[in-house]
Amino acid sequence: MPTFLILAVLVITIILAGLVVARPALTVARGGKVLAFLAFFIFPVFAGLLGLENHMERSKQTSFCLTCHVMGQYGKSLYVDDSSYIPAAHFQNGRVPRDQACYTCHTDYTIFGTFSSKMKGLHHIYAQYVTKPQQPIKLYHPYNNRECLHCHDGSRSFEQGALHTAEPQTMADIKSNKLSCLSSGCHDTIHNVKELDHVKFWKPVQ
Amino acid sequence: MHNHTNPVHSRLRLSGIFIIVGLVIQALSFLWNHPLSFIAFVTLGGLLLAIGIVLYLLTVVNMAANPPENADARPHAPHS
Repeated sequence: MPTFLILAVLVITIILAGLVVARPALTVARGGKVLAFLAFFIFPVFAGLLGLENHMERSKQTSFCLTCHVMGQYGKSLYVDDSSYIPAAHFQNGRVPRDQACYTCHTDYTIFGTFSSKMKGLHHIYAQYVTKPQQPIKLYHPYNNRECLHCHDGSRSFEQGALHTAEPQTMADIKSNKLSCLSSGCHDTIHNVKELDHVKFWKPVQ
Repeated sequence: MHNHTNPVHSRLRLSGIFIIVGLVIQALSFLWNHPLSFIAFVTLGGLLLAIGIVLYLLTVVNMAANPPENADARPHAPHS
């Protein structure tokens, strides 16, 4: 739901609640009781849930992730002018939505993946403002092929890729996560932030 | 005559103020796209909203359990 509609619901709720606060005697009558129930329970719960949903959606935005200083270099790596950089190639060619680039690759595609990502996000806030982020930044777990296969599984370039089909066992190992997509010699150039001073950058046409 | 010291009204006012302040904080949190705005929405806004709603529900439950003595004097109640 658009933010302005949620703000409208919030403002209406504030006005209704303000009316009851200003004139609590209204609640003596039956209509006033209904008004109080709407203003103090139904509307606030509704507005709160809408707001929470909106904040959850906003937290998926690339710009949201990049508000933390430590993520700056990772955001910059999306503009490297080198197709061997996997995040950059995905970002620049629209293989992931540009406005949700971080979330698209770094969420878990499982039943509770979104919830798990939000919990990690809260931990990131804690790390950012209470403790200090550990350097170098590392993933919690080795990157799971499941996240790549969410999009690539079944696609022609993946299923018929020369190296993917070179040996019969390779495809099975990739799909069962025994052989990482990010293995050395395969798709092993990721953000590579230490090298950003030595690479060219793509400038999108405005 | 309106009774300004009615405890039910005072509690309703208090819960309403909690709810309004919580909603204002939640509304302000939308003006800033930042992780801290999410934290403000959930912790400050959500907490105040929850306190206000619980206080209101407790007031309603209390009112139902102990109806005010002058309940018969409600405007819509037929009373001679």
